Amino acid sequence: MQTLSLTQADNPLNRPEPVLLTQGVLRVVRFQAMASPCEVLFAGLDDEQVGVLGRLAARETWRIERALSRYLPDNPIARIHAGRGQRIAIDPELFRLLSYADQCYQMSGGRFDVTSGVLRHAWRFDGSDRLPEQALINSLLTRVGWLRVQYGEDWILLPDGMELDLGGIGKEYAVDRVLLLLLHQLQQWGKTLAEGQFGVLVNFGGDLVCSGPPPDGQAWHVGIEDARRGEVAIQTLSHRHGGLATSGDARRYLVRDGKRYGHILDPRTGWPVEQAPRSVTVAAATCTLAGMMATFAMLHGAEAEVFLQAQKNIQYWIQR
Amino acid sequence: MQLINDKREIGLALTAATLTLLGVNAPLAEAKGKAGEWDIDTAVLFYSETDGRVSAVEPVAEFTRNYDDDRKLTLKAVADALTGASPSGATPSDQAQTFTRPSGKGDYTVSANENPLDNSFHDTRGALSATWSSPLGDDYAYSVGAYGSGEYDYMSLGLNGTISRYLNNKNTTLNAGLSVSADSISPEGGIPVAFSRMALRANKTEEAFQTEFDASRQGSSDNKTLIDVLLGVTQVVNRSTIMQFNYSLSMADGYMTDPFKILSVIDDTPGAGLGTNAIGADGNAIYVYENRPDSRMKHALYWQTRHMLDNGDVIDGSYRFMIDDWGISSHTVDVHYRYMMGKSYLEPHARVYLQSEADFYTRYLTTTEYNGGTPTVTEATADYRLGEMLSGTLGLKWGYHLTEDHEVSVRGEYMKQTSTGDEGIGALATQGLYPDTDAFWLQLGYTF
Amino acid sequence: MKIRQMLKNGCILVVLVGLTACSEWGVKPWERDVLAKPEMQLIVSPIDAGLDDHIYFSKEGSSGGRSFGGGGCGCN
Repeated sequence: MQTLSLTQADNPLNRPEPVLLTQGVLRVVRFQAMASPCEVLFAGLDDEQVGVLGRLAARETWRIERALSRYLPDNPIARIHAGRGQRIAIDPELFRLLSYADQCYQMSGGRFDVTSGVLRHAWRFDGSDRLPEQALINSLLTRVGWLRVQYGEDWILLPDGMELDLGGIGKEYAVDRVLLLLLHQLQQWGKTLAEGQFGVLVNFGGDLVCSGPPPDGQAWHVGIEDARRGEVAIQTLSHRHGGLATSGDARRYLVRDGKRYGHILDPRTGWPVEQAPRSVTVAAATCTLAGMMATFAMLHGAEAEVFLQAQKNIQYWIQR
Repeated sequence: MQLINDKREIGLALTAATLTLLGVNAPLAEAKGKAGEWDIDTAVLFYSETDGRVSAVEPVAEFTRNYDDDRKLTLKAVADALTGASPSGATPSDQAQTFTRPSGKGDYTVSANENPLDNSFHDTRGALSATWSSPLGDDYAYSVGAYGSGEYDYMSLGLNGTISRYLNNKNTTLNAGLSVSADSISPEGGIPVAFSRMALRANKTEEAFQTEFDASRQGSSDNKTLIDVLLGVTQVVNRSTIMQFNYSLSMADGYMTDPFKILSVIDDTPGAGLGTNAIGADGNAIYVYENRPDSRMKHALYWQTRHMLDNGDVIDGSYRFMIDDWGISSHTVDVHYRYMMGKSYLEPHARVYLQSEADFYTRYLTTTEYNGGTPTVTEATADYRLGEMLSGTLGLKWGYHLTEDHEVSVRGEYMKQTSTGDEGIGALATQGLYPDTDAFWLQLGYTF
Repeated sequence: MKIRQMLKNGCILVVLVGLTACSEWGVKPWERDVLAKPEMQLIVSPIDAGLDDHIYFSKEGSSGGRSFGGGGCGCN
């Protein structure tokens, strides 16, 4: 096991340095980001190459986390919140993410809304039976509504009282960006996937993407957590292509009068989506797409299965 | 409860949106056009006509420098070297015919029953152009360009500009363009006097010939100006179809006659001589220099549609209708189909062109029209390019992507032009007045 | 003269058809993935188009339409 050192500029959040370890034929780089254990698995690459790629992966992940986190004092998101009611400058990446959030809002008929985070002031999914007062929900709902946010290619205007939270996109986005960055670097080194000499899998707390099957032609083995019991992998998936992501959290719910309230909120009512599955896992071309498909399925409530069945080129697992 | 009617549609839209977010939807387009780098496109064209007519080699290079915000500079250099023979306009005859070269220095003889070709045709041309294009705010874009080309006997300088307006989420683009150019021609041997006789050396002294030749010239150069206006609409039809409509107006003023083209004067007196070359007082056949109007106004309508099929193949079709005040109207249909085969593609091409003749086109002048040297017509040409014509082209291109932004390609095209018209009177009717033109060109390209 | 008049009317009609159809035609900004591909550009290869335009310009009585009519050549 060795640690990979990064400069202060590359590690702005002062996280522990990534570690590189060997597991059989695989090399693994682990680090912490986005409140998740992050790991990148490499096959067919040596320590020196993995060292360079591991640093790149950590740097890119921390860069995205620093740019998008809602909990940091002096990042673009904080500046937008501090400057509510005014036009605040944004960079092209944030513009792309806002455009994506906008499209998801449109396509979901307003159910996917990056301004819905304020509703957490009413809902605490601690397994108890404490439902919030409708009056509180109503007052919070006046501060929700993506359509009230104005933005352009290089600016955004967030109205007073509102919050912007890209957490629902950020992690999966980071997973895909890291893989693309590593593949780009490998291509610079003259290594192409076509030759089947290497494989890379990026896994941030269960949301993952791979470059294709590992060089031995076998699959990457991924466990799906049991939504009811947690922790223990109940099913092992063979994953060869693209991304995999899960929406839903078995431990975050309320029960009142025998009715279960999951933590997926419908921003139009301020209440949890009825009959939403406990969790949805989707395999799709990219991690971001898998994550958004899973989120959309959750927002479909009782029709989650119907929604997923209609999709092409994905696989899914639903736990109810 | 249903979120949106078509769940699969949502999935497809979500897929596209996600690819856009990650910037992986168009890897080739992204690889090209990176700011701060030159994209270079090169090709060499080998052009050849059958029967020893024109052949040409034409290297081209285009350099595109991309800057931030979609601004870009394109520089293009073209050279071409031409040799060979081109139809002079004279009719074939059952006698051998001797013509004076355009320079006046020397003759060439065409055997009996052969189509007269002027084989003194050779030239080299160089052209340079530069275009700058840039967005203008969110809803407009513009481009400005300059152009210059030079040949041994021809010079052209031009300026052009276009402005585009985006509407309807950039699904509709309105384009307006203006191009102005000034050309000057200084042919070897000078500018012929319209309808003057081609001086011929036979049966006279060199001095007498020279006097006659000089009398058939009116200065060493002439010029013309061209103004082109283009109005167009580009419309995105759906996710895989784009369409364009253009209307263009082209106005040319000045010298548009081809100084190397002549017409035979054919005897139309009934009798044994009907359809033979008219003979002048010097005992030589009469050939006169052609003359075209000094202004031309062309209107063209152009429609193009490009569509990608579900399997990734691309089909492209276009139609052009052109009409001008010389009396020419033409229809052009052009179709390309690109088979996508991973790193390579194969693209067959077919084109059909149909043209009506100019009002003043005639295969020859009759002695009546020639009227002893004071012609009854003010304009006439026997240039087959202004006559009635049907032309077809078949081609095939193969391209291969070595890497994301390196492409090699090879392309071959075969064109056949057939002309039709007045079949001639008397003896002339036995001659083939409208030989086909067959041309083949091969192009090798490399993009990096 | 008559034909030119008809042509003028025809042209206006074509432009109008193009514009009125816009309300139903078009794509959302995130549906431009296909149209962004290099092989979907109206002029895929400017080099090929330029060379062919030059050949046809010097062999036929028409030119232009797609872009400016061309000129700058003593070949026609």
